[in-house]
Amino acid sequence: MDPDPVYYVDLTLNGLIFGAMYALMAIGLTLVYGLLRILHIAHAAVYAFGAFITVIVANATGSIALGIVVAIVASALLGPAIYRLLYEPLLKHPPYVAMIASMGLLIFMEDGFRILFGEQGLTFTRNPYPTEIHQLFGVTINTVQIAMIVLSVVCLTALALFTTRTRVGVAWRATVSNPTIATSFGVDAIKVRYLNFMIGSALAALAGALIALLNNFVEPSMGFVVSYKALAIIVLGGLGSMRGTLIASLALGLVESFGTILVGSYLDRDALAFLFLIIVLMVRPQGLTGARA
Amino acid sequence: MSLYTYSLLSIVGINIMLAVSLNMITGFCGQFSLGHGAFYGAGAYAAALCAVAGYPVPVALIAGAVVAGILGFVVGFASVRLREDFLAVTTIGVSFLFVGFVRKQHWLGAEMGISKIPGSGLGAEGNAVMILLFAAATIAFSLYLNRSWLGFAFRAVGDDEQAARTVAIPASSYKLLAFALGTAIAGLAGGLYTYFTQFIVPDSFGFILSVTLMAMVVIGGTGSTWGVVAATIILTLLPEVFRFINDYRLLIFGGLLVLVTRFAPGGLAGIVNSLTRRLRRA
Amino acid sequence: MTNVLQVESVSIRFGGVQALTDVNFSVGKGEIVGLIGPNGAGKTTLLRIIAGVLAPDTGRVMLDGQNVTRLPTAARIAKGLAITHQIVRPFRSMTVLENTALAAGHKITANPLTAIFHWRRAAENSRAAAILAKVGLGGMEDRAVSALPLGHLKRLEVARALAVDPSVIILDEPLAGLNHREAEQQADTLAALNAEGLTTVLIEHNLREVMRVCKRLLVLDGGRIIADGAPAEVMADKAVREAYIGKADDHAAA
Repeated sequence: MDPDPVYYVDLTLNGLIFGAMYALMAIGLTLVYGLLRILHIAHAAVYAFGAFITVIVANATGSIALGIVVAIVASALLGPAIYRLLYEPLLKHPPYVAMIASMGLLIFMEDGFRILFGEQGLTFTRNPYPTEIHQLFGVTINTVQIAMIVLSVVCLTALALFTTRTRVGVAWRATVSNPTIATSFGVDAIKVRYLNFMIGSALAALAGALIALLNNFVEPSMGFVVSYKALAIIVLGGLGSMRGTLIASLALGLVESFGTILVGSYLDRDALAFLFLIIVLMVRPQGLTGARA
Repeated sequence: MSLYTYSLLSIVGINIMLAVSLNMITGFCGQFSLGHGAFYGAGAYAAALCAVAGYPVPVALIAGAVVAGILGFVVGFASVRLREDFLAVTTIGVSFLFVGFVRKQHWLGAEMGISKIPGSGLGAEGNAVMILLFAAATIAFSLYLNRSWLGFAFRAVGDDEQAARTVAIPASSYKLLAFALGTAIAGLAGGLYTYFTQFIVPDSFGFILSVTLMAMVVIGGTGSTWGVVAATIILTLLPEVFRFINDYRLLIFGGLLVLVTRFAPGGLAGIVNSLTRRLRRA
Repeated sequence: MTNVLQVESVSIRFGGVQALTDVNFSVGKGEIVGLIGPNGAGKTTLLRIIAGVLAPDTGRVMLDGQNVTRLPTAARIAKGLAITHQIVRPFRSMTVLENTALAAGHKITANPLTAIFHWRRAAENSRAAAILAKVGLGGMEDRAVSALPLGHLKRLEVARALAVDPSVIILDEPLAGLNHREAEQQADTLAALNAEGLTTVLIEHNLREVMRVCKRLLVLDGGRIIADGAPAEVMADKAVREAYIGKADDHAAA
């Protein structure tokens, strides 16, 4: 194995970058689960949707930035629409019913993308960013990776400040961790639901767009594995806790980054996440940071 | 009958075994499992190894059932320790873990799988008959189970575990048994599949299959043996009869899942029940 | 008098809160005991420890002279304990008769490997029907539980508990949510069952009915037993009056 310390710095950086993307994805799931106790599997379809919109708009207008903005706005509308049309009527049933519906929607949308855009997916006609290489403190990093770090730090910090420093934010966070609190804070619980789907979907679209830029292409099934990793993350994070979700996301990113090198010959990368999940759950059934019994 | 018909019948029979056994875990006992394909795969690989090593058909089939059942029993412990939604995610993990593990194992043929598996010696027709007999036995067992005290107690555990404990039902043992029974049947189906195709690859047992099986259970009506059998037959044959459907198979499965959960959570069985009730009243 | 249920020096802490402190009491065969106390006194915690949902930090729970502190709930029920839930928990997919018959078959269902070889239900069905008649649910056998009013569901809880052939039954607020007349009927049923020899512990807020049917009262306050004796004496006790009136003042202030 490469003894160069930079190599390990590289692995760590890569792990954290992927962890940040997982966090952008998983925050939305946490928001939905905390409020409605639904495992919103179709969230990954929103992520793929965001990625496709980015590519399509960017190729049509020549502006990647515009593509990202349109993707975020469109996804922020799609998320609440899914809630309104699919989940709201199912709230009276046990939570697994909504989960199955959500799984159905994910399969439906992913296959829809395949039929609309083809098995091979789409590529950007002009995307110089992944190949713009920079040297930072001895590490090699490309422009998209820098954008991933900056944007996820900005978004997650903004979310953290909003939920800890503003009155509405505090009430909102309290509502997510305990929905019955909503009324005592004078918060409109229904509005909070829409807000959750909006913010969560916008973040997922951002993650989708950035991953699309990094890989320089989008494929119909791109959300599939990510969706289940995001589920694993929110379980690891103790379901419903934003802080736990963030920690679990970064931890998973690092475990994958190092694990692929260390045990990659026995297990593939996607299986690693679930091995990590299963081991953690067997030791701590309440998740990495959860305190609930 | 043509070879094609035999192969169709074999696939229908195997899918019935898989969906009906998943229904024992999820429908009867209320334990959500999205990893059923992994147990099917474990059974297929165990049987394939036995067959390649020269053991006779019954030994290979039993090995498939036992290996899958033991694996199911172990995964069942997750259902004892974890709450419902954690369990769903964990079983998804089992599904990915199985494929991810097998893909990297050279002694299991890695991504190329195991080929040149000796046949059962029964021919295509004999295989189809054997598979259909096992499928019929699975249905009969499922119907019996639902009438037995085991099924009665499963329902209680599925309804309310804590309440079940207060009528002296050791809920954890029941959940473990549900997993062991259901997954052993899936393993048996895996063994039959091995003799049917004589060639297995890890990707046949992945997550898509697990979801498809769950779709059959939900669309048929969770907990209803006949509903699940009907849904399995329809969903297996539809893409074969209407070739164009095959291209849109997942789109249709996904769409059906959404529509059924949204408008008829009882599935086919629920629809038939409410229709007959309406007819009787009329 | 032999003790059917014995709680010995039971204590438990949650985080920083001492929920129960050195709780000691025993219930003799054939007794009907009321366990009362203000909200938050620890009644539910105590019941959960007796039922085996929680393990105490120290102390023991004895059933018919056997230490059951380490046994899971189902095993305790099999040894003669029965409990009802404050918030009713019927098996929603079953009829009234099925709910009760399942409990009546507890010897079969105690082991899933026994249950798999049994299918006839006639004996359990007729026993269940007899129990349902006793608690005032005769004629309701084939109703789906989703269609039952709360008063009937509360009775179904009792029926299901009786069906496990208990030597002691602990009822968690069996009268809560019932109107005056329903509560009186339910309390009469419980008194009648006790008269037939069933050892009964009644956790209840409805003091009027508790005073009427119980021959002995235990008072729990702040996680301790503060009084134990005949109802009239207990209610005259200064500490008990303070526990209740203190609470009443809190309510007035709130």
